[in-house]
Amino acid sequence: MHSISIKTIPGIDEWREHARLLLANNIPPDHIIWQGDDNAQMNLLASDMPVFSVDKQINFKISAQILDMINTALCHNGPCRFDLCYRLLWRLKHENKNLLALKTDNDVLAFQKLVKAVRRDAYKITAFLRFREVEKDGYPYFIAWYEPEFFSLELKLDFFKTRFKNMRWSILTPYRAAHWNGENLFLEDNPDPALYPKDDKIEQYWLTYYASIFNPARPKKNAMMSSMPKKYWKNMPESILINNLLKNSQAQAKAMIARDQASRQKSDEI
Amino acid sequence: MDYDKLKIKLEILSDAAKYDASCASGTAGKRKASAQDKKGIGSLTGGTGICHSFTPDGRCISLLKILMTNNCIYDCHYCINRISSDIRRARFTVQEVVDLTLNFYKRNYIEGLFLSSGIIKSPDYTMESMVRIAKSLRLDHGFKGYIHLKTIPNASPELQAEAGLYADRLSINVEMPTEISLAKYAPEKDQGNIHSSMNKLRDKITEHKLDRSHSGRKLPRFSPGGQSTQMIIGADPSDDKIILQRSVQLYNDQKLRRVYYSAFSPIPDASEVLPLKPAPLIREHRLYQADWLLRFYDFQLDEILQGTKDNMLELHHDPKMAWALNNRHVFPLDLNAADKSMLLRVPGLGVTSVNKILSIRRYGSLSWHDLVKMRLPLDKLKPFICVRDYKPPLHLLDTAHLSEMMRKPEQIELFG
Ligand code: SF4
Repeated sequence: MHSISIKTIPGIDEWREHARLLLANNIPPDHIIWQGDDNAQMNLLASDMPVFSVDKQINFKISAQILDMINTALCHNGPCRFDLCYRLLWRLKHENKNLLALKTDNDVLAFQKLVKAVRRDAYKITAFLRFREVEKDGYPYFIAWYEPEFFSLELKLDFFKTRFKNMRWSILTPYRAAHWNGENLFLEDNPDPALYPKDDKIEQYWLTYYASIFNPARPKKNAMMSSMPKKYWKNMPESILINNLLKNSQAQAKAMIARDQASRQKSDEI
Repeated sequence: MDYDKLKIKLEILSDAAKYDASCASGTAGKRKASAQDKKGIGSLTGGTGICHSFTPDGRCISLLKILMTNNCIYDCHYCINRISSDIRRARFTVQEVVDLTLNFYKRNYIEGLFLSSGIIKSPDYTMESMVRIAKSLRLDHGFKGYIHLKTIPNASPELQAEAGLYADRLSINVEMPTEISLAKYAPEKDQGNIHSSMNKLRDKITEHKLDRSHSGRKLPRFSPGGQSTQMIIGADPSDDKIILQRSVQLYNDQKLRRVYYSAFSPIPDASEVLPLKPAPLIREHRLYQADWLLRFYDFQLDEILQGTKDNMLELHHDPKMAWALNNRHVFPLDLNAADKSMLLRVPGLGVTSVNKILSIRRYGSLSWHDLVKMRLPLDKLKPFICVRDYKPPLHLLDTAHLSEMMRKPEQIELFG
């Protein structure tokens, strides 16, 4: 048994370095205990890194697509992700290079589940993150605070760099911040949430828009909840309106029909 | 003070836009500010736009969807903005729309702008202001986000052509399924006119696409996301057959990207030729499903209408299930042998699950347990399929109750 502890978050590079060595030295997955830094308890166990010959070459390649999926899965916070990804690698090498086509294999299912969850979480960052504007050195500066479910910020930095290229911004998450000055990106661990501005001059218009675009004759709470579960609400200023909008919707729609009926009756009488 | 006025305008002009069904942004390719571009903002990521929020009616907010003005000189009965309607009126300036779009975009609220408008002064006057908004966003601000313009019926072809240079998608509403209904409900609009505008846009869009790939001369982008339209359902007496026939024609002849169906929803101060109650949402939903089957599942219209009463889609079953129940003789289908086109006809199997099945089949055969692991809707599938270790009991497909068994528990439909 070897135990390996991954000290960085989410630990992609570190894991890959270890996995390459382990694979080259032919260490099967059930001989390794992986520990992540996000799991404090496990850290109490001493790390016991086996001595490998570092320069052993392996001639084993995986497709860019699988590599991308592994990188994505590793951004999950589930403690078994390192183990699962290594086992997958092992089985790809020793058992079946088309392993991922076996859509109902238990490892493949578990892996796909991680990938899907992280992809969704990462997508939601691009969707639900909200910037607030402040002035810094005489220029507009945009700051967002966002709490992703997993460590998925890294996966979307390119998106923000591209879309908001000519803006200067910071995205703060509980574990890491990304700062963009228009040319370079800086990462910083454990940023101070207090940097997030308390308000924004445009936000009230967004709330106005959100409330006005809702059609009270058609409330469909379940549809909304499945696309925008409550866990994301804390990132979104408009979420404070939701309960009231729902509460008033039925009354509003009924009143509208009643009003119409009444006015038609009136004109009938004339 | 100024800000408050803006808020009221926004309230009125987004409220008026909410009856429009098309909310998502369509696909219009990729786009971003180049490395040398020191001003531009925004990007198109390739797929359909991101849903930045969801309203409590379950719809995605992807775009700033507003009217430039809700003043209108026309009198379309189904429309809350018609001249005879007694509502608060407002009008944005060109600058206000440009600023709102940019300010919302920079905060990551939206993918872009969806702009429509009532008609002020004349169709051309209105269209010209709308084009100015799009042009200013693109040229003055280097905006790379999504722009959808709802073109004004009866506006000049030149203005429509200019709109195509700045917009990612253009649309013209056909509004009503038939010419007769259009004449009755939208007296100033004319189906012939709408069609000829659509045809002109279609030709431009194809021309620009072709010229980019064939000749050396590079034409500018022209409405790369194509054009779409919207039809109101349940305000006039047209049945589903008439509606779907119309859609098929619009997809085939005008090459539309998308037809949106909008179940008539009562509007305040409604005209008396309209029904008081909303059209059932489930009807709109079934039409979307049928539309989907026609476009992506290789169904023919007569197959979808087979066995319907009064040419109305069944409300209790989705159209694929309805087809399967009418064609029980082709089932049960062996999931380990059937070809892709037949797999796509099995109720409960979508494109993704069909692809998974095909992938598994390349290296082995499917068992019941595989279906469980794939989390397929087994109750729905059960009568229609067989796999290595499962066959439906012989009588299952023949029972008279099958149709009832396959119904979903009634959903509570508000004001249904
Ligand atoms: S032209 Fe458009 S805005 Fe004017 S009444 Fe008709 S549908 Fe409404």
